[in-house]
Amino acid sequence: MKCLRIGYVPLSDAAVLIAAASRGFAEAEGFAIELVREVSWANIRDKLILGQFDAAHMLAPFAIATTLGLGHLRVPLIAPFALNLNGNAITISNLLQMQMADELGRTPEGPLEGAKALASVIRRRTAEQQEPLAFGIVFPFSTHAYLLRHWLRLGAIDPERDVNLVVVPPPYMAESLRTGLLHGFCVGSPWNSLAVDAKLGCIAAFGVDIAERAPEKILAVPKAVSERDPDLVSRLIRALRAAARWCADGKNHADLARLLASREHLGLPEHIIRDVLDGNLCVGAGGQRRAHAAFLLLGGDTTNRPDPRHAKWLYAEMVRAGQTPFSDEAYHAAAAVYTPQLYDEATRETATMPPGDPVALSMGPAFSEHDPRGYLAAFR
Amino acid sequence: MGSGFKIAIVDENPVRAAILEEGLLEAGHRNVTRVSERTNLLARLTLLDPDVILIALENPSRDVLEQMFQVSRVVRRPVAMFVEQSDTASIEAAIDAGVSAYVVDGLTKERVKHVVDISIMRFKAFSRLKDELTEAKVALQERKVIDRAKGILMRAKNLQEEEAYALLRKTAMNEKRRIADIAQSIITAADVFK
Repeated sequence: MKCLRIGYVPLSDAAVLIAAASRGFAEAEGFAIELVREVSWANIRDKLILGQFDAAHMLAPFAIATTLGLGHLRVPLIAPFALNLNGNAITISNLLQMQMADELGRTPEGPLEGAKALASVIRRRTAEQQEPLAFGIVFPFSTHAYLLRHWLRLGAIDPERDVNLVVVPPPYMAESLRTGLLHGFCVGSPWNSLAVDAKLGCIAAFGVDIAERAPEKILAVPKAVSERDPDLVSRLIRALRAAARWCADGKNHADLARLLASREHLGLPEHIIRDVLDGNLCVGAGGQRRAHAAFLLLGGDTTNRPDPRHAKWLYAEMVRAGQTPFSDEAYHAAAAVYTPQLYDEATRETATMPPGDPVALSMGPAFSEHDPRGYLAAFR
Repeated sequence: MGSGFKIAIVDENPVRAAILEEGLLEAGHRNVTRVSERTNLLARLTLLDPDVILIALENPSRDVLEQMFQVSRVVRRPVAMFVEQSDTASIEAAIDAGVSAYVVDGLTKERVKHVVDISIMRFKAFSRLKDELTEAKVALQERKVIDRAKGILMRAKNLQEEEAYALLRKTAMNEKRRIADIAQSIITAADVFK
């Protein structure tokens, strides 16, 4: 049986890959998956490029940036499958939460109020000539970076000038809150919950509060691999689609949480992963809980069909973050990373994508794929 | 073939970092600093301002270094991976050995390659050492198990030590299993009958 080597980073949104490899979905399509756990996105990229991986779990913006050559390497990748939407959250230290509540006179509710309270804290710190606040992100090209920037801007905070945005590996995030090196961060699951569980911080906003349908991880396949073996890529898509349906079904969450929690994969507490899968999270040191059905979307409906409008939005966000100047050519090249046609051919589904704004940014202008310049101009 | 390079080794494994540092010093690279920080790595590197950064692939902080390509206001000089994209053999050798390198732009490729070659050799040497250590530990553990099983046999069957060992060996040969496995079975069985 043909075996595909697939790299992943131990996160909740590797669920579909892990389930496909461990619950018989790959075998049902006549191949096997050898999963290789990695500790960094840089490792994933290098091993994809060197052909050590046939495919990988990857940050959607990183796959686009690598294809466009915005990092230091330019290698064409495609995204024939979306492994999830959403799943991120913003966590802030307990101290910062208290300071924000002091500014407002009560605990802020919702992302807008939170961002405004944060802006007040920042103004006070600036007046007192204190160091700028530091916020952690997982990678320069990540949805986390763009969601966090948008949240800051809601409070009229300049993410490049008023705060320090620093890359911190997820396993070090909570620790950095404790040592005071970070005051908050935007990270994927289950790392926000782990910080809350350790009573080091509280969740200020779910990713879904900032964007209703945010692209997150995709299956990255080197273009060369997909051209060399289109049938295998097709079978992989079908296996992932079946695995994603299984993952999205609440009946399987107990089994899935156990599988993800195992030492072989995430090696983290099962109950925390279960909360993430159920979209019902502990958000503060007092044990308060908050539920959102779309906190993390692993499958169902059109979740897994790569939507080129998402790639276009991510490119626009790269421009907004100052990572690249806008060009029409790159805009279309970014969209071409997402390959819904491969998904459609493999699954034989005829999907109708939800019309209108594909991302639905909270309190931002609507994103229209036909007018990225208008979207960008609306923020100025 | 020494150099005036300022080299930073980012590795949370102190033994491997020391082995690499020693290799670089031997080769005439005098300016080598080991960095083991987890949480404020970028600040530490900014302060050090190295020409070459060597980092273990098993270190999650590789992604922190990737930020240096983006944030030139944090680090004074832009940093790039040492190898040209065409030089995949070099990248491959480094990745296989478990090390990655970042260097500032504009350094002579040959001189940097020298540093990277040393890193690859030293990382491999460390892996071999680790394997040997594991083997030695396993061998020691097995000897203890065999000694215990011999003792059990000597008491149970009133045998001399050599006779007990001969019995173990014969059983292993008959069963096509390792002596240590047979010894473990005897210990397990003896525990059950206790």
